[in-house]
Amino acid sequence: MLSTVIEVASNIFFLIGILFVFVGMVGLLRLPDVYNRLHATTKIATLGAFGVMIAITVKTGFSTMGLKAIMVGIFLILTAPVAAHIIARAAHRSGTKLWTGSVADEYAEDCAAKKDELNCDPDKKL
Amino acid sequence: MKQYIAYALILGLVWSFVSGDISVLNFVIGSILGLLIVRSLEKLYRPDKDMTFRSITEHLPKLVVYFAVLLIEITKASVQMARIILSPRMDIRPGIVAVPIRATKDASITAIANTISLTPGTLTVDVSDDLTKLYVHAIDVSEPEALRHSIRDKLEKYVLEAFE
Repeated sequence: MLSTVIEVASNIFFLIGILFVFVGMVGLLRLPDVYNRLHATTKIATLGAFGVMIAITVKTGFSTMGLKAIMVGIFLILTAPVAAHIIARAAHRSGTKLWTGSVADEYAEDCAAKKDELNCDPDKKL
Repeated sequence: MKQYIAYALILGLVWSFVSGDISVLNFVIGSILGLLIVRSLEKLYRPDKDMTFRSITEHLPKLVVYFAVLLIEITKASVQMARIILSPRMDIRPGIVAVPIRATKDASITAIANTISLTPGTLTVDVSDDLTKLYVHAIDVSEPEALRHSIRDKLEKYVLEAFE
């Protein structure tokens, strides 16, 4: 009885995780520019991968695999936003324009106010 | 000395989880290795001198609250993003806004930046040189003031309580 419950719960977590990863990938294709696409990959893909890790832990309990899955989940939550931040920053500094429908870019304004040519004027870089 | 032991015990716990075997012997091995690593790499990482067992135990309940809030926010963020992605007419008004922050310690600024990236509709792009502003890319900036307000009152409060 208990093993059935564990099996079902683990499969539900697994399905939710896979579903979120799938939606994240659809977002990667549909959203307009690099910054909006990062929204999809950081948040949704993180939750999706986290769901898969929970499914593994529920299924195998506190075994070698289950404990490692917990650690992988924690490391994902810690590293995904850092990767997103550094990709967005690199994209902005190398001159990737925001999507034409964007309504504000205070980063570029502050950059220009500082006359920080290397970092915010892509034509003059390096 | 105390903060070395505190760091070493945390590293020992991580070691036990990563090697997939929670036992006293494995924890002790991990802690000894952790102590060696913390001691030898001290110059690279500048360990927090104020960190003691008491400050850890005092902050622990608030850290738990912070992680609970973080998990709820990640779930909300994912559902909201999924709704935006799957709607046939994608009605988004993205942009980058500057958000002033109150945190002063490196650890809490890092925590706020990462929390913002994981919460609904916002993504940290950069920190200003004087560490007073975060540049946040938001998927809906029809009301920039409301966005600043929500980051200040909802998220920063928990982070400040947990890390300062």
